Amino acid sequence: MAAQWRMCVAGLALMATSVGLWARESPPQTPTTPSQTARSPVRANLDRYCIGCHNSKAKAGGLALDALDATDVAGDAVAWEKVVRKLRGRMMPPAGVPRPDEATYDAIVSSLETSLDREAAARPNPGRTDTFHRLNRTEYHNAIRDILALDVDVSALLPKDDASHGFDNVSNGELSPTLIERYLAAAQKVSRAAVGSPLSSPASHVVVLPSDLTQEDHLEGLPLGTRGGAVVRHTFPLDGTYEIQIRLSRDRNENVEGLTDSQDVELTIDGTRVQVFPVKPNRNQSGAYYADEAVDRHLKVRMSVTAGPHDVGVTFPRKTFALEETERQPALAHFNMDRHPRVQIALYSVSITGPFEAGVATDTPSRRRIFVCVPATVAAEDACAKRIVSTLARRAFRRAVTDADLEAPLRFYKEARAEGGFEAGVEMAVRAVLASTEFLLRIERDPPNVAPHTPYRVSDVELASRLSFFLWSSVPDEELLNLAIAGRLHQPSILDRQVRRMLADPRAEALVTNFAGQWLYLRNLAAVSPDARQFPDFDDNLRQSFRRETELFFESIVKEDRNVLDLLRADYTFVNERLARHYGIANVYGSRFRRVALGANSERGGILGHGSVLTVTSYANRTSPVLRGKWILENIVGSPPPPPLPNVPPLKDTDAQGRVLSMRERMVQHRSNPACASCHQLMDPAGLSMENFDAIGRWRARTEAGTAVDASGGLPDGSTFSGASGLRSALLRRPQLFVGTLTEKLMTYGLGRGVEPYDAPTVRTIVRNAQSQNYRFSSLVLGIVGSDAFQMRVSP
Amino acid sequence: MIVGKNALPRRTFLRGMGTALALPLLDAMVPVLSARAQDVAASVRRLGFVYIPMGMNASAWIPATEGRLTELSPSLLSLTPVLDHITVVTNLELRNAYTTGNHASSNCAFLSCSRAKRTEGSDYELGTTVDQIAARAIGRDTPIPSLEIGTDLIAQVGNCDNGYACAYQNNLSWSSPTTPLPTEADPRVLFERLFGDGGSPERRKAELKKSGSILDWMTADMARLRRELGAGDRVRVDQYLDSVREVERRIQRAERSDASALPDLDRPASVPAVWEDHVKLMFDLQVLALQADTTRVITFQLARETSTRTYPHIGVPEPHHPVSHHTNDPEKLVKLAKINAHHVSLFASFVEKLAATPDGDGSLLDHTLYLLGSGMGNPDIHDHSNLPIIVAGGRGAGRTGGRHIRFEKPTPLANLHLALLDKVGVHLDQFVDSTGRVSDLEPLSV
Repeated sequence: MAAQWRMCVAGLALMATSVGLWARESPPQTPTTPSQTARSPVRANLDRYCIGCHNSKAKAGGLALDALDATDVAGDAVAWEKVVRKLRGRMMPPAGVPRPDEATYDAIVSSLETSLDREAAARPNPGRTDTFHRLNRTEYHNAIRDILALDVDVSALLPKDDASHGFDNVSNGELSPTLIERYLAAAQKVSRAAVGSPLSSPASHVVVLPSDLTQEDHLEGLPLGTRGGAVVRHTFPLDGTYEIQIRLSRDRNENVEGLTDSQDVELTIDGTRVQVFPVKPNRNQSGAYYADEAVDRHLKVRMSVTAGPHDVGVTFPRKTFALEETERQPALAHFNMDRHPRVQIALYSVSITGPFEAGVATDTPSRRRIFVCVPATVAAEDACAKRIVSTLARRAFRRAVTDADLEAPLRFYKEARAEGGFEAGVEMAVRAVLASTEFLLRIERDPPNVAPHTPYRVSDVELASRLSFFLWSSVPDEELLNLAIAGRLHQPSILDRQVRRMLADPRAEALVTNFAGQWLYLRNLAAVSPDARQFPDFDDNLRQSFRRETELFFESIVKEDRNVLDLLRADYTFVNERLARHYGIANVYGSRFRRVALGANSERGGILGHGSVLTVTSYANRTSPVLRGKWILENIVGSPPPPPLPNVPPLKDTDAQGRVLSMRERMVQHRSNPACASCHQLMDPAGLSMENFDAIGRWRARTEAGTAVDASGGLPDGSTFSGASGLRSALLRRPQLFVGTLTEKLMTYGLGRGVEPYDAPTVRTIVRNAQSQNYRFSSLVLGIVGSDAFQMRVSP
Repeated sequence: MIVGKNALPRRTFLRGMGTALALPLLDAMVPVLSARAQDVAASVRRLGFVYIPMGMNASAWIPATEGRLTELSPSLLSLTPVLDHITVVTNLELRNAYTTGNHASSNCAFLSCSRAKRTEGSDYELGTTVDQIAARAIGRDTPIPSLEIGTDLIAQVGNCDNGYACAYQNNLSWSSPTTPLPTEADPRVLFERLFGDGGSPERRKAELKKSGSILDWMTADMARLRRELGAGDRVRVDQYLDSVREVERRIQRAERSDASALPDLDRPASVPAVWEDHVKLMFDLQVLALQADTTRVITFQLARETSTRTYPHIGVPEPHHPVSHHTNDPEKLVKLAKINAHHVSLFASFVEKLAATPDGDGSLLDHTLYLLGSGMGNPDIHDHSNLPIIVAGGRGAGRTGGRHIRFEKPTPLANLHLALLDKVGVHLDQFVDSTGRVSDLEPLSV
């Protein structure tokens, strides 16, 4: 008996063999709850299905349902919310033991939810966001872009951010000495670049292209009639002379790859041709080896460029097809000298060094933004400086500024002005603003004299920042700020209009790149490098195409305000020729991405058929049903598997007779080991249903091992199906699960805190209201923005 | 000594970004810096830690014999040229790493020996790590008290342990129980932190002065903020103020230090495409930082826990994490041993460089101790006992050849940390769960 209770705790109940034990073992029939006398239907079902493991004695998962009162959920709302979550996802009771029928499940869930929601409505708990939110990399980049019209390489300025609850804007209130150093250095560099101050010495900026970028064909964003190459957007700090140097890609013997015939290299600035360099092969006498050392040495030019952002382009004019065809090879990727060598020369890097003989920075977007006035006389300088600093500080501090706010930056202005002139003074003031806690930290302050543990409405100015960092990952703009300062932003009609305006604004791209990039793990694509032997067609072009497809797709949901279920079931996607060939879609030519209609029930419909998602949930050399299953449970179903137990016992190498077990036998043991199986039986089936997609998202009929794909799978709710389309249908049967998960993810990201059990009533309300609006994307966003969780906060 | 900016050919880094990237830098700079190193007092002691994720294949790692080593085990063979400076320690354990997030805790308990509080909120809590305790003492006089280095440029999503903030899995070093120190993986950024971003010494001094005055104001700004907030939030601001004061001290040291007169070296242009080149470059920068006495404490996370990096060129096209769950499959065990040997070999070439770099009355290695290891023993079962641990460096008085110290009973890793702290002159009675100190390191000095 004792052994069996232990098994409950370990989740052994999942095993078929334990069913018999369950049947024999009658659970305690005498719960000691207050509700015992008037047993509600909920209580009766809990007693029947759950209490065998979840009682005060066994306490499986730390839950004792006999000690909870089902008629008064308020007392233990957190525990009851967990029960609801497990039941709604049909995670419990585990498969293999008696489970209620669907109607009973729904009745229990609905009854508990109704009680919980009633309690929550009576005593709303908006939760307490952290007081401090440090601007993370993305937010810092966007803030600088919006305040100073400057596009900075933030990865060189700030360390990478740690994520919590799946997002890197959660729980990031710490400021280690390292971070302070980096923010200080960033303030210095950014203020210098924005004002355009003289530099001590020429600086070098080198852009190295991904080594696995195929450059045989036209690349998106480059002029037609060219192939390969790159366009580099570079902010030139000052008017002056710069040296631009081009290097060609070399193999490991330091020879230029693909240099079999002469070829031109074209350098452009802002689309205008600067120079065309011929590159000629330079065979030595024997003809067996290239003497390539100096072959690209002449690919450089010194030229004068004005300060500000310019597009530096390096391309190869396309040669005639006839010539190219002679060298064509079957693989799509060409970057590896052994397996799929380059046919033509390729760009390795572009370096921009300067300025030599520097002038000043005359007219740049940043200077136009900063210098809202230009003092005509020395006497006018101080007043102008004050205007400049107060304009910037207002945007940077995201609120109305006071004279006290300006005092320190203006003091810095005066000191530096005395030493180096007006512009040096302004630069120092900008630097001080960027080093201010009011800029670097988003701070939410409790109102004075607020009683403890009391919900209160955040100020309109704080609400403006919550909104802009949610939808734009950046600072509020003037319109938002003006409404907030006027104290009108919280008015529902105004708030509604602002949300819709912000969603339509180009800055809402942050929801695609930043939110979806993290929710769907698109960010991890950069670190993916599939095994080159198994996947000779994989190159950076494909990696970028994967990302682009999913970004364009998510953007279409946001911009067209579509039903978010389309994320799972859309009959369209976005491809270019490369991706279309990968997917087996005919008649798509060229590097440009375009929307293509897919047939109904196409395996590519929705994110579950996207190469991006399928690749980031695979290993380099094979698919992983475990990773895919875990991804689906966490990000689509919203029921992450429980964490593995500490100190999993080792598997046995030998059986009772001392015979060494085979690999297969050990794997069976792994699945039957309760500590492993309790999670893996939840995760693996969902992932197994996607086995028709290989590790880089191609459709396949056979596995890596050569056996026929068995794509039968299931979900924790006990549903079984086959293939990705089966999975899709199963997920769409109960759309609230997916919509609820997406709502929780958006809320986590929007609030910058984890979604807690007390938020569950809010999420349910949002999903319910969204249902009547066809689950439009905006209905989720408006639901979140309109919630107490977003507009209020609890005092400590 | 001051070296003009033309002492080295410009863009040393920019020319061959291929495989031969790392060495030219170091070779070019050694003559420059070794001259400087002569000025450094011989008593300078340095401490470093290198983290390898997901344990080891013990059978290929643990030397067959104990005591004095004449021969190294297969995974450690690459250390043979520096065998004299190597101590292999086995049967150490991390009891506080047994959690429901074993990958997170392997990483974060390695230097803290502490149990991570299970949370994804901002209330994460661990313990101050051993490197930071050392840095408070021996890092006091260098411009940078400690360096935290990694090789992962982007923070990946979704591969941190359930319920544990990513901070635990990403950061080895914690300057307080609530302050993880971010790692730097971009060699260019690291270089700029070490040697500045150019300009004359005068200009750098002027810059430091400006940073100092901005910091003064930051302090005042935070003091104002502190007054505006409630008691609970003030605790956070107090932490910020501690950080600001620490940065102030660093700037003051940098102003005093010779380091502000460092040569105007060329900066690495970008991150090498090949991971091994990246690692070598990060190791080379450690040699430079130690040699220039810019810092005396370094932690280096060679790879993250749950890394899925593949190593096809050494015969492991499978990802590291699944290989580490070897289920005693002989084929996977061989591959895990290959990964271990590969990681150790990268460390071995670094140790060789330290040995070849003159410093004071001996080599840089004589005055440096590095611990290489993992917070996991057998990765298949996520255990934290019998950890792979190697100590390299120092001088053995009357000692010839490396050693293998094997404990009879599982012994806290903290005991070794205490001994290492002793070696660099930091004497603690206790470190978290220590039960004594590894006294067998006795002949060793730095």
